[in-house]
Amino acid sequence: MVAPFALVANERGARRLTAVDEAAACLGLYIGQKATTASALAPDLITADADPVADAVALTALNDWCSRFSPAVAVDPPDGVIMDIAGVAHLWGGEAAMLDDLIARLAANGIPARAAVAPTLGAAWAVAHFGSGLCAKDRAIVSPRDVAAALAPLPVAALRLTAQVATQITRLGLTTIGRLAALPRDQLTRRFGPEVVLRLDQAMGRVREALTFRRPPSPWFARLAFGDPISAPDDMTRVTGDIALKLCARLEAEGRGGRRFEIGFHRLDGLVCTLTIGLALPGRDAARIARLFQPRLETVDPGFGVEVVTLTAHEVETLSFRQRRLDDAREIAPEEGLAPLVDRLTNRLGATAVWRAQAHPSHIPERASARRPPLSRFVGEKWDPERPRPVRLFRRPEPIDVVAPVPDDPPILFRWRGRTHRVRLAEGPERLAREWWRAPLDDADPARLRDYYRVEDETGLRVWLFRAGLYRAETPAKWWLHGLFG
Amino acid sequence: MSREAQLLAVRGKLAALEVGARGRGVLAFGDARIDAALPGGGLPLGRWHEAVGKGVEIETAAAAGAFVALVATPLAAHGAVVWVMRRDDLHAPGLASLNFPVEHLIQVCVRDEAQALAALEDALGTAGVAAAIGEAGDVDLIAGRRLQLACEKHGAAGFVIRRRPFGGAAKPSGAGSAAATRWIVAAAPSEPAPGEPGLGAARWRVRLERCRGGQLGEWMMEKSDGPYPLRVVAELGDRQLEAPPSFRRAG
Repeated sequence: MVAPFALVANERGARRLTAVDEAAACLGLYIGQKATTASALAPDLITADADPVADAVALTALNDWCSRFSPAVAVDPPDGVIMDIAGVAHLWGGEAAMLDDLIARLAANGIPARAAVAPTLGAAWAVAHFGSGLCAKDRAIVSPRDVAAALAPLPVAALRLTAQVATQITRLGLTTIGRLAALPRDQLTRRFGPEVVLRLDQAMGRVREALTFRRPPSPWFARLAFGDPISAPDDMTRVTGDIALKLCARLEAEGRGGRRFEIGFHRLDGLVCTLTIGLALPGRDAARIARLFQPRLETVDPGFGVEVVTLTAHEVETLSFRQRRLDDAREIAPEEGLAPLVDRLTNRLGATAVWRAQAHPSHIPERASARRPPLSRFVGEKWDPERPRPVRLFRRPEPIDVVAPVPDDPPILFRWRGRTHRVRLAEGPERLAREWWRAPLDDADPARLRDYYRVEDETGLRVWLFRAGLYRAETPAKWWLHGLFG
Repeated sequence: MSREAQLLAVRGKLAALEVGARGRGVLAFGDARIDAALPGGGLPLGRWHEAVGKGVEIETAAAAGAFVALVATPLAAHGAVVWVMRRDDLHAPGLASLNFPVEHLIQVCVRDEAQALAALEDALGTAGVAAAIGEAGDVDLIAGRRLQLACEKHGAAGFVIRRRPFGGAAKPSGAGSAAATRWIVAAAPSEPAPGEPGLGAARWRVRLERCRGGQLGEWMMEKSDGPYPLRVVAELGDRQLEAPPSFRRAG
């Protein structure tokens, strides 16, 4: 016989069991028992320290693995996973077959599990945790008609109540959900608070329940499973094209297009490799989407093989195609020319590497231009044409040595990068101050002022330089070169 | 057929080849003094052109950048202009001050030279892109030929601003280049109108150093608010002002 095994942790000032395996449970050990008591009852008990952080990480990994079954998967700490399988069970040929596949695959990975399918989350949770003898030991399917019947014999704790409330109810002799449900609702609320009735309603399907899924669920989901796992690069390319075709056919049929596509390669060993691409305009061109994934497919390590590929479309929008004009061949819709270019560049260089500049209402030169997505509509104000700005603006102004008559005149001579420039023409100053609302008022000292001058030297070099702060007789002013007009 | 006629026919064919048989039209400067020097009366479209600065301009490329932006301004009416750079110091408000339509400009920042040339080539070959401007230190013959092929796809005009954005010695621009034209651009002192304070309209001294099927020359040009973004102020007479560069001897 296998030796009993338990995890222990410090709880309420004592070493207590936090998890027991089947052998230990048979010996009468239970969660919350003192470790000393347990080892006295079962001298051959093997214990290890509980590691809740590693448990959470493992649960998240399990959760990701479960996305092969459905895109809508949520973690249910400490040891559960919740899946919304509405509309995907038919891919396995029914809920029963899907459940069998899930349990078998978990068992193959060494994870014993109990699973239940039910019309409501509450019922599924209750049956998975407390159900017994429904049809098999570790799996159950509750049909919409049988929810009340399936819940009735279960203990009250199956309603996901806090331990305190559950104990209180049990102490009153209400051991099963059926007996609890038979009581008048107003008395339940008065006695135990709103929680009991809410949980009861959630389990029965009278109240909707919101879930936070690990990935935002998208109904735009396609899946390809292979009898023989694939790993050759050519196959990966081919299945990427196939699955894109599959999803895009659906998008096309409903007149939609996605902006973001996520492909997941589910490996035999349970790991999932995902790749994401973004489009500048919503699209559903399968060949184009597959081409964008193409250069990054080589970063996917297929391990011993990939058995399932999933593709999800996010940010799906209604997509209407502009009709092409007959008369003017030069007019090219952005869907055909620019959008694919922007997609190629952003997916190759990064999302922040391609942009269009737009006026931002700020006097600070560094902040006057905002980066916007390249194909977004051009809105907002324009830059003031009365204020000339340099073509090249240095990210950090470069310090210069200056000879300038006091107090407010432009310089007559400046030294920049080791060369002296004699000023021939100058314009200014244009005084720019820091925006007072960005800092406390006390901090808005005059040293943050900048007096900008447009200056041209004898060779025609046109520069934008400024003096930091107001002129003060006792301290020499600091001058900086901020940009070149060209 | 007489010998002269045959010669004339061959010359015509050669000229057609030089200009690019698939004539995509030209971009005129709007002044006979400079357009006459260019084949077909303007900067050929569907080709790519080089702009080079001297001295500190090799690093900053401000004058060349401003000049190229002005040259490309009329093209922005036909489609997008893509500007590929390694250092993102291009200031859009500054381009707007030059009357460049910034709403048609897509800026792309890349990490290295190879990416810059690849992005430039990609942009030039895209329908809907009227002009693509790239900043690169060196374009070898193969890269230049690739740019040329991309330009011919949809007749976009390419511009390469020779620039080493993070300093370093400039490589001598070798004799071999697939560019249709090469311009040496330098800022020149402006002439404010009499009685006006401040700076005059920006001026550049522009030398056409290489031009297939055209004549070389040097001009003083000025930013203009008229129908053409650039105005020729003067044609600078002597076309052999500078001695040939010394590196030629190294062969």
